Amino acid sequence: MSVLDEKPLPLQTLLRVDSVSMSFGGIQALNEVSFDVKAGTIHSVIGPNGAGKTTLFNVITGAYVPDRGRILYEEQEVQGRKVHELVRQGIARTFQNVELFGSMSVLENILVGRHVRTRCGFLGAMGRWSWVKKEEVEAKRRALELLEFVGLVDFAHHRSEDLPFGWQRFLEIGRALGADPRLLLLDEPASGLNAVETQRLGDLLERIRGQGITLLLVEHDMSLTMGISDLIVVLHQGRKLAEGTPKEIQSNDEVIAAYLGSDRESFP
Amino acid sequence: MKQILFAVAVLTMGLTISQSYHLQLLTFIGIHTILALGLNMLMGYAGQISLGHAAFYGLGAYATGILTAHWGWSPWAALPVALAGTFVVAFLVALPMLKLSGYYLGMGTLGFGMIAFIVFREWSSLTGGDSGLVGIPSLTVGTFSVSSGKPYFFLVWGCVLLAFIACERLVDSRVGRALRAIHDSEKAAAAMGIDTSRLKIWVFVFSAVLAGLAGFLYAHLVTFISPNSFGFLVSIRIVTMVVIGGMASIWGSLLGAAVLTILPDWLHVFTDYEMVVYGLILMAIMIFVPQGLTRGILDTYERSRRKAFTTPDPSQS
Ligand SMILES: Nc1ncnc2c1ncn2[C@@H]1O[C@H](COP(=O)(O)OP(=O)(O)OP(=O)(O)O)[C@@H](O)[C@H]1O
Ligand SMILES: [Mg+2]
Repeated sequence: MSVLDEKPLPLQTLLRVDSVSMSFGGIQALNEVSFDVKAGTIHSVIGPNGAGKTTLFNVITGAYVPDRGRILYEEQEVQGRKVHELVRQGIARTFQNVELFGSMSVLENILVGRHVRTRCGFLGAMGRWSWVKKEEVEAKRRALELLEFVGLVDFAHHRSEDLPFGWQRFLEIGRALGADPRLLLLDEPASGLNAVETQRLGDLLERIRGQGITLLLVEHDMSLTMGISDLIVVLHQGRKLAEGTPKEIQSNDEVIAAYLGSDRESFP
Repeated sequence: MKQILFAVAVLTMGLTISQSYHLQLLTFIGIHTILALGLNMLMGYAGQISLGHAAFYGLGAYATGILTAHWGWSPWAALPVALAGTFVVAFLVALPMLKLSGYYLGMGTLGFGMIAFIVFREWSSLTGGDSGLVGIPSLTVGTFSVSSGKPYFFLVWGCVLLAFIACERLVDSRVGRALRAIHDSEKAAAAMGIDTSRLKIWVFVFSAVLAGLAGFLYAHLVTFISPNSFGFLVSIRIVTMVVIGGMASIWGSLLGAAVLTILPDWLHVFTDYEMVVYGLILMAIMIFVPQGLTRGILDTYERSRRKAFTTPDPSQS
């Protein structure tokens, strides 16, 4: 059923989206979308509102099952595996509308992010054997390290919902990093950030890449996207309109037309 | 530390209070605390409602009642069987039920509670039906009888202490954080790699087993049980204890259980208006401290000493 034949993935391809289609009722949210994400790169997905970007993320993370097509992550089919299993395999994400655990502290949010890298269950928790304590200490150490990394270590004990919105986005990224992902999907991480915060975000993304983590980014902020992406995929009404380096995308007539036709005036 | 203070408090109370009426009341508070504690793990922490929890309370009570009164088992042999029975039933109920959420889960558990109530009432060859199950033996340790009064008080509160420790450890662990995560955002919890349906099943089973333990303690205290002690109203009372005491608060379960056990007792002076006053008090608590008594008390305390939240630059760290 797939248009691409069964030849093995080139070694550095971490994720392959292979003619994926998905519709909701009459709306074709994704229409035969294909592209590869190479390990160690920052790959962006852009497109006007309703283009299908978030749907694409939901399909990659296993939250939605596509109608047609398939997703290969590290040469394995994503389809049929549950969201939480895929996190264990190294796919972590953030949400377009920040989804923190609001009643929990900043530190606890990161600790939940570490869920798949720890293993204490009901009996372990009640018994509190020495391996459980050791695991807990280690998890806290790592969580503080991550808070340091995203710049929130001073707020470890604040309730996460008390943080200013922009910082919540940084916390959400830190939480996703808790799973030690190999592929990190960020859905519009810059939306709601001011200019200074956006710059800081760009810097953080570079540092994340520096750790060998592959980034797949949905973003409307063009200067950020153009500045840090290795490759960009443009979606428009569920279809892949173009793919290329930031330079190629900026000079692509179809892309410019799609953006001019939409209500977004922000395209450079 | 808190546990030691708690143990000391229980010990002093047990040793100083000699009036059997007060001891009895405190013993009931203990049993209700275990019930509320279990439900609080499910409701307060994981955010999943159960309107049929009295079923598991009844299951624990009837299981030990039938094994000891009908079949002559020792209560100590009946205890693990009663708990295991509750465990299995809760698991089988949870398997389909916790696919539901919100109102639907409420309805589902409500239905289960009703079915259990009907079984307690109608399976009269085993349960004694409406007229109840009589002749449940008191507990003994060797030749020492742990019937009502001080020994039972200590037994029950010993169990409360253990349940406290278990729950407190659970809350402050990977499991507890995952439970609260489900409560705050199930979507995000799944995205963190938490197997939400599995965890919801296990916390349901955990809370049911605590209810089963409470049922065991109840049965051997009163030595006579009837279906009405495990009906719909009792389920609602357990929910009320959790809500009044404070959701997601371990000490709140104790407070809620105490208030709902003592209040009806004090309100006897209002004779005909007893229920009206009772209702008014519950309403007032919910209006003025909607997050429950514990949070209300803590918030007042914290507000009086909290510094304003300052927002230094995050990059400076
Ligand atoms: N769960 C759903 N049920 C029904 N329709 C949906 C669902 N999710 C997405 N859609 C529809 O699919 C289309 C693509 O939505 P999607 O959220 O993927 O767009 P997007 O590119 O992320 O847009 P935005 O920039 O606004 O976030 C939209 O028309 C949307 O209404
Ligand atoms: Mg979107």
